[in-house]
Amino acid sequence: MGDDVVIKLENVSKTFKIRDKVPGNLLQRSWSFLNGSDIRRIEAVKNINLEIKRGEFVGIVGANGSGKSTLIHLMTGVYKPDVGGMASIKGNYIRLSLGLGFNGQLTARENIYLNGSIMGLTISDLNDNFRKIIEFAELQKFVNTKLKYFSRGMRARLAFAVAVHAEADIILMDEFFGGVGDERFKARSDEIFQEAFVKGRTIVHVSHNMRTIKQYANRVILLHEGECRSIGSPDEILDLYRRTIRVDKLSMREE
Amino acid sequence: MALGLAARIYTILPESNRIERIWLLAKTDFKVRYSASALGTIWAFVYPLIRILIYYIVFSYVFAKEIPNYGFYIFSGIIIWMYFMEATKNGLKVIKAKQYLLENIRFNKLDVFYSSILTSLIGFIVNISVLICLLIIMGLPPTWRLIYYPLFILNLMILSLGVSLILSTIHVYLKDISQLWELVLLLMFWINPIFFAKQKIFNMFPALLYANPLAGIIINSRDVLIYGKEPDWLLVGYNFFYASIILAVGLWSFNKFFHKAIEKL
Repeated sequence: MGDDVVIKLENVSKTFKIRDKVPGNLLQRSWSFLNGSDIRRIEAVKNINLEIKRGEFVGIVGANGSGKSTLIHLMTGVYKPDVGGMASIKGNYIRLSLGLGFNGQLTARENIYLNGSIMGLTISDLNDNFRKIIEFAELQKFVNTKLKYFSRGMRARLAFAVAVHAEADIILMDEFFGGVGDERFKARSDEIFQEAFVKGRTIVHVSHNMRTIKQYANRVILLHEGECRSIGSPDEILDLYRRTIRVDKLSMREE
Repeated sequence: MALGLAARIYTILPESNRIERIWLLAKTDFKVRYSASALGTIWAFVYPLIRILIYYIVFSYVFAKEIPNYGFYIFSGIIIWMYFMEATKNGLKVIKAKQYLLENIRFNKLDVFYSSILTSLIGFIVNISVLICLLIIMGLPPTWRLIYYPLFILNLMILSLGVSLILSTIHVYLKDISQLWELVLLLMFWINPIFFAKQKIFNMFPALLYANPLAGIIINSRDVLIYGKEPDWLLVGYNFFYASIILAVGLWSFNKFFHKAIEKL
């Protein structure tokens, strides 16, 4: 692996085996269980080759079910690729997605300490950074409120603030800003995106929101039914993406 | 607490904050477990005390004459038992419970198991402190042989960690394991020397003593704590051997099947 390649995927595919519920009596069900006819194979991601360098901002676009989230899980190593594939990641990563990442029973303070500690910060680091995190997330009034009372926007702000201040080398955002965050917060996150390259922070951004991708991405990947259809500059790929959506719609109408 | 202090000392060392992280995970878990209830952490020792009282009332008619200090006999056995029960039941579900961290952040995934074992230890420390206080009040202060006690706790933790790892692996393929495990625990409660005198059953079925990873821990820890007796070192050897084998199997299965566990959540 080259020195500044932080995420590398080689021939990565991912097949899920799903057992469908078979209707019928117990005998029929156990028969299909034994001969395996109730197992369905779903190829979520097919044969992806990709290298992401330190400081890059990579966007991933594609229709629902095209394998974007699975690809993120493969990058982090949470999912293991099918035999023959190789995935590796270098550095501390954090994956941000809406609704996940925090324990609703814990307060904002406790969640910050827990997540920060797991990211590798010491308690004294966190004591120093605590104010900054809370101010960045604009949650000064909710420090001791349990997360379950937080709105989606508040959670998103908190998660992003933790990720930024815990100095994650790689931030993977999975539909993270989907409709949350007011203008002020957008401005702040834009600052982070702008300085990411200088700080050597890698960002992978899965989104339907084209604005951020268009503005900051160095490269964009278009996924279609698990395959990497194209990689290129934001303008090029977003244009292609819009056209594929239109084509899909047309072909559906013809059927 | 001592562990918190140890964690603080450890952070002076460069780089790793691993111990601190495991401790933080355990501490917050302990808090969460009782934070929803009005009495809070008081439940952590009220609950076992009430259990002990009930067993004492029920069984003292049968056993009180042949076992000296029968109340303490049950107390010392049941806290070991409750640790094992709680630690394994939580360990079984720890992957699901910590999904929100495991999926999103890079860290050593075993840490959530270590912390789960520690969480139960916090409750255990509360219980053992109550027991030792009661022993002193009742004029039965522990002898110098109490120094052996941590040895049995270590053995118990290794065993519980191994069992948790194995159970959570099985849980990937067979969700029924949580119901099955309840049954196994029920059976184990009745074949371990928690409330009955050990001679009775073990003279008849020595295998229950020597092929049982938990019985020796209960017997030896009780002997050093209440009766001030030298532990049965052969039994100590057996128990450490079983616990290590179970932990080895647990670690192996965890490394092999952890990915599947996350995918199937």
